[in-house]
Amino acid sequence: MLAPFRGLAPSLSIAAHDALGARVGGTSDEDAPAERQIRPIVAGPLAGGSVVAWGTAASTPLAIATVESLAIALGIAPTVGSGGIADVVAARRIEQELAHGRRLQRSFVSLVAPEVPGYELASHYEAAREVGGDFFDLFRMRRRGRPLSVVIADVSGKGIAAALLMAFSRPLLHAAVDNTTGPAEALERTNRILVQERRSSLFITALCATLTLPTGRLRLANAGHEPPLIVPGDGSPVVPVDVEGPLLGAFGSLGLFEAEVELGAGDVVLFYTDGVTDARSASGERFEEDRLLAAIEAARGGSGDGRGTAAGIVESIRAAVTAFQAGMAPADDITIVAIGRHRKEGRRGRDRRPPPAVEG
Amino acid sequence: MALETPVEQATGRVPITVLALDGELDASNFMALIDQVRGLYEAGTRHLLLDLSGLQFMASSGLVALHSVVRLIHGEPPPDPEAGWGALHALGQDVSEGSTQAEVQLCGAQPAVERVLARTGLHRLFLSHPDRASAIAAF
Repeated sequence: MLAPFRGLAPSLSIAAHDALGARVGGTSDEDAPAERQIRPIVAGPLAGGSVVAWGTAASTPLAIATVESLAIALGIAPTVGSGGIADVVAARRIEQELAHGRRLQRSFVSLVAPEVPGYELASHYEAAREVGGDFFDLFRMRRRGRPLSVVIADVSGKGIAAALLMAFSRPLLHAAVDNTTGPAEALERTNRILVQERRSSLFITALCATLTLPTGRLRLANAGHEPPLIVPGDGSPVVPVDVEGPLLGAFGSLGLFEAEVELGAGDVVLFYTDGVTDARSASGERFEEDRLLAAIEAARGGSGDGRGTAAGIVESIRAAVTAFQAGMAPADDITIVAIGRHRKEGRRGRDRRPPPAVEG
Repeated sequence: MALETPVEQATGRVPITVLALDGELDASNFMALIDQVRGLYEAGTRHLLLDLSGLQFMASSGLVALHSVVRLIHGEPPPDPEAGWGALHALGQDVSEGSTQAEVQLCGAQPAVERVLARTGLHRLFLSHPDRASAIAAF
C-alpha cells in the first residue's frame, strides 16, 4: 500500500510538506531556514504527464509524482496507512483538498439551465465522495434558431486526474458542438483532439444531442455512453434511443452514426450516467435499469394521467437511488438530465408560432 | 466489492497465463490489477487469458485496466504517460485495419460485463470465447 503522500499534485503539496517533513527530518515550518523547507521544486503543466517533485532547495527531489499517480493516491485516501501521525495529517489535508475539488467540479457542471421556450429542463447532479468525472452541459447553440445542445459525459476513473480530464474535455465538447454540423461530427472531432493531445489512459463516455426547438427534432450521437430513454407523453412504454458507438480517447476514429427522434408534445427524453444504474445498496445490489424504469413509471403514475414531467421524473429517480443507497454516500457521480416538451406551447409572445403537428 | 485474481498456467500452442477476475472490478482495485499484470509480464507472460466468468461487475475504470493490460502484454511500458497514449492509438489503428490483437484474450464474460464492453466499443480490442477450454485452444 502506498503512503498517502506519494503521488500528490501541486494542489496537495501542503500535505506533502507535512508528511515529508516528518519523514525525512525536513520541516514545513515557514520560519525554518529556506534550505530546510520542503516545497515543490519542479512542476510541469497540469494536463496528463505533468510532474511535480518535492524537496528542499538544497537537495535532490524527495518525492516525485505524476498526475496519473494521483488517481492512486486518491484511491487510497482516506485510508490511513501505518505511517503514523504524518500520514494522518496528510490524509486530512487530502480530504480538505478533495472537498475543494468537489466544489470546483460542481462549478464545471451546468447548474443554471438556459431558457428554452416550449420545453421543461430538469437535472440532478450529485458528486461522489471522491471527486468523480461526470459533467453535463446544456446550452443554446449559436447557429440560426439557436437549437438546444445537450452533452452528458463520464470520465473513467476517479480523483483529480479524472477531474482534470473533465475540465479539459468539457469546453472541447462545447466548442465542437457549436462548430460542427452535428453531434456525431462533434464527438469525432473531440475524440481526435483527445487522442492527439492527451497522453493518459483515461477514457470518456459522452452523449451529445441537439434539439431543434420548433420541431422537436432531436439528433443524437453516442460515444460509449448509456443510451437516453424516451418517455412518451401518451403513456406508452419507455424506449431507449437506439444509438451507440465507442468511447472517446481510445481509438483513432469512431465511425459514429446519428439517431434522430422527434419529441412530441408531452414527451420527455432522459439522459443519465452509470452512477445511477451502478448505485449500490447496503447489501451490495446494484440499482440497475429495472429500478430506473420503475422510478420513471412511478413518476408517470404520480401525475395521475400516465404522463409525468421532466422534473417529476428526475426527482423520482433521485429519490429512488437515495433510498436504495440507504444513507451511504454514492461511490460514483450521479447525473440525471431530462428535457420535456410542453403540452401547450406558444402561450407567451416569444414563441408565437405554434409548432407543427408531429408527424410520424 | 472485493476482487480475487487467481493465476494459473495453461498450455495451448504457446504457454498461456490464465488470470481469473472474480468479483467486481472498479475504481478501488483497477490499479492493483494493472500492477499484477505488470508483474506477470516481467515474469515472462506473453499470452494472457482473462477469465471473466466470475466477474459480476465492471465499472468504467475496469475498461482502463483492460486497456492497460493489453498494452503491458504487448511490451509497452506504462505507466509512462508519454508512451501510453501513442500505444493506445496504435491499438486502435490495428483494430480499424481488421487485425485484432491476439496476445490478450477473454473468456466467459457475463452479460453485464459483455454489455459494458459492447457499449463502449472496447470489445473490438479482444477475441472473446465462451469458456476457458475453447479460449486456450484459440491461442
